[in-house]
Amino acid sequence: MNKLTTSKLRVAVSALALTAAATSSVFAQDTKTITIATHYNDEQIAPITACFEAYEAEHPGIDIVHQQASYGDFLQTILTSRVGGTSPDIYNIYSIWAPQLAAAGALEVPPQEVLDFVNANYADGSVGAATIDGQLWGIPTELSVYMLTYNKKLLAEAGYDAPPATWDELLEIAAAISKRNDQGNLTQAGYVYGTTVANATHPFYSQMYSEGVSPFNEDYSATNFTSPEAVAILEGQRALFEQGITGPEMTTDDFPSGTVGMYIAANWLKSTYQDAFGDEFEETVGIAPIPSSRDDWGTMLYSFLWAVDSTSDVKAESWELLQWLNTPQDGLSCTGQMLNGMGALSGNIADLGMMDVDDEFSQAYVEAIESGAAQTQPNVPQAAEIDRVLRSYIEQVWAGNFSAADALAEADAEIQAILDDAAM
Amino acid sequence: MIKWLGSSKATPFWFLAPVIAFGIIFFILPLGFALFTSFTRWDSLQPPRWVGLDNYLYLLTSDRRFFPTLFNTLYFAAGTLAIGVPLSLGIAFAFTQSRFQSLWRSLYWLPMVTNVVAVAYIWIFVLAPTHGLLNRLLAMAGLPGPGWLTDPSIAMLSVILVFVWMQLGSNMLLFSAGLNNIDESYYEAARLDGAGTWQVFSTITIPLLRPTVMFVLITNLISGMSYFTLMLVLTEGGPLGRTTVTALYMYEMAFADLRLGRASAVAYILFALVFVLTLIQLRFFRQGGVDAH
Repeated sequence: MNKLTTSKLRVAVSALALTAAATSSVFAQDTKTITIATHYNDEQIAPITACFEAYEAEHPGIDIVHQQASYGDFLQTILTSRVGGTSPDIYNIYSIWAPQLAAAGALEVPPQEVLDFVNANYADGSVGAATIDGQLWGIPTELSVYMLTYNKKLLAEAGYDAPPATWDELLEIAAAISKRNDQGNLTQAGYVYGTTVANATHPFYSQMYSEGVSPFNEDYSATNFTSPEAVAILEGQRALFEQGITGPEMTTDDFPSGTVGMYIAANWLKSTYQDAFGDEFEETVGIAPIPSSRDDWGTMLYSFLWAVDSTSDVKAESWELLQWLNTPQDGLSCTGQMLNGMGALSGNIADLGMMDVDDEFSQAYVEAIESGAAQTQPNVPQAAEIDRVLRSYIEQVWAGNFSAADALAEADAEIQAILDDAAM
Repeated sequence: MIKWLGSSKATPFWFLAPVIAFGIIFFILPLGFALFTSFTRWDSLQPPRWVGLDNYLYLLTSDRRFFPTLFNTLYFAAGTLAIGVPLSLGIAFAFTQSRFQSLWRSLYWLPMVTNVVAVAYIWIFVLAPTHGLLNRLLAMAGLPGPGWLTDPSIAMLSVILVFVWMQLGSNMLLFSAGLNNIDESYYEAARLDGAGTWQVFSTITIPLLRPTVMFVLITNLISGMSYFTLMLVLTEGGPLGRTTVTALYMYEMAFADLRLGRASAVAYILFALVFVLTLIQLRFFRQGGVDAH
C-alpha cells in the first residue's frame, strides 16, 4: 500500500467517522413529535401537509403528525383524548368551543410574541372571535360570514333582476319561485332552511345583527331574544312556512341542484357551488346582504383558531410551528394556501390580500368583513347547547305550534337558566 | 390465603378469573363510575364536583325535554315490539312451512349485517318527500306523498318501520330455532284431530314457543329502550324532536353539551325504567306458565 493510498484511506475513514458522528448527534437528540388535530380531510389539508414536510426538513428533530376528526366528532375527540391523556398538542377549534376549553384550563395562553403577531396581522373580527374576556387564545384561521345566497337564474325566471333588500321583498320573490308537485310537495323552493343548527340558529343571529341587535347583551349574561326585532324576524320566517313558500321537504342541501332560490349561508360553500355549477357558477350564484329593515345592514361571522393544549410537552415548539404556518412567505402562508384552496377566507390580512377573492362571490364576503358589517359570533358559554335549544323553539314557530313571541320568551327562559348555570 | 389459592377449591376461580376480570373492568367499574358521576357536575375537562341529587332533581322536575324523550322512547320500544315481534314470528312460521328455508333466512338476515349508516342512507333515498322512491311510486298511483321523515306526526312510525326491517332477520332466526325445537308429534296429533293451520299455530305453536317469545320480547325491549343510532343518522332527532329518544338526548347531553354528570343520571333513570319493565314482562310470562317449560 503506497503513501498516497494510505492517505486517501485515512481521509475516507475520517470522513466516514465525521459523518457517523454527525448522524449520531442528530439521532441523539430527542425527536419531538407535534400532534395537530383538525377537522380538515386529507385533500383539504394537502397544502399544509406539504408545509409540515418542509418544516421537518428545516427543523431536524421535529416530527409532525396530523390527526383528522370529522367536524361533528371533533369536540368529543378532544375530550376523549384528554381523558385518556393523549391530547394533541395543537387544535384547530371552532371559536365557540373556546370558552369551555379555556375555562377548564385546556388551552395554553399564547406567548407574548404570538399575541403581538396576531394583533399586528389579523382583522379585528377574527381576533375578537378568538378572544374570551379580553384574553386571546390562539391564531385565527378560517373566517366564515353569513350572507344571503341566491340563484340568479331562478330569480330571473321569476321576473326579478336583483336580490331582495328587505324581508317583505324576500317573501314576494320567494313566493314567485316556489313550485309544488301534484302531491303538494315542493319541487322548487323560493327559500330554504336546513336540518342543522347552522342552518337555523345562525341565520337567525345574522338577521338579528342585520336589524342592529346582538343576540346577547354585552357581558353575555342575558339574551336579546325577546326584543321586538327578534320577534319580528321570527314572524317573518314563519310567514315563509305559512304561505307554503318553504317546507321541510327541501333544505339547504338542495341549493347546489339548482332548485332553491335563496337561503342564508356561509362562504365556505364556494367550492361546493363551483363543483355543482361548473362554468355556470358566476352566472348562477349571487351573494347579497342579509335583508333588513335598516339601511345599515349587518351579519354574523365565526372563526376557527389554532390553539395549543395546556398539557402539551412541546408548547414552545408548537407555537413556533403555528407562527411559521401562518406567516406569509413567498406568497400565501401555509394556512392561507389551504383556505384559498377551499374557497374559504382568512382572518390574516396579508393572506386575505393575496387570496383569490376578486370574483363577485368572494368579494361580497370580503366587503362585509372589511366594512365591519360582519360581527363576531358571541363566545358565550355552552354556546352549542344554547344554539340547539334556540333552534328547537324556532322550529316550533315554523311548524305553527307557537307564536314567535311565545317561543322566544320560552327560549329566553331556558337559555337564561343555562347562562346562569354556567356562571356558577 | 396463599395456601387456599393453591388448593383445589380455588381451581374453579382460577378458570373463571379472566371472565371475572373482564366483568369487573368492563361492566362493574363503568357502572360504579357512572353512578358516582351521576351525583356530580362534570365536563370531563375539570375534576367532577359533588352535587348530590341535583342532576336527578333537575331531570325529574325542571328539564322540559326529558319526559318528551321518555315518551318517544316508550313509543319506539312499544312500536318495535308490537309490529316487529308478530311479524317476525309470522314469517318464521311461514318459512317452516316452505321450501328453501335457508335461502329465506339468509335474505332476511342481510339487513343485520349492513352498517346502520348505509341502512339510513338507503332509507333516506326511499323516504325522501319530493324525490324519494316511495313517494314517486305513490305519485304514479295518484296518491299523496307524505313527509315520511319530515312530518312530525309520522316520523317516529317511519323510524320504527325501518328498525323493524333491520331487526326482522334476527328475531326470525330466534323464532325459527324455537319452532324447530317443537316436537313434530304435537302437530301430527293435532292434524289427526282435524285442527287447521290457525288452530295449530294458536293452540300448539304459540304456547310451546312462549320461552322464545319471552326472550325476544325482553331483548327487544331492552335494545329498543336504549337504541338511538338510527335516529341519529336518519332524522337527527327531528322533526320537532319527535324522534329524539332518551338515549339520543343523553348522548347529546354528554358529548355535545359536556354535561356528563347529568347524562349519567339519565342513564340510571333509563336503566331503572328498563329494569322495572323487564320485571313486569317476566312476571307476566311466569303467570302464563313459562317456568313450566
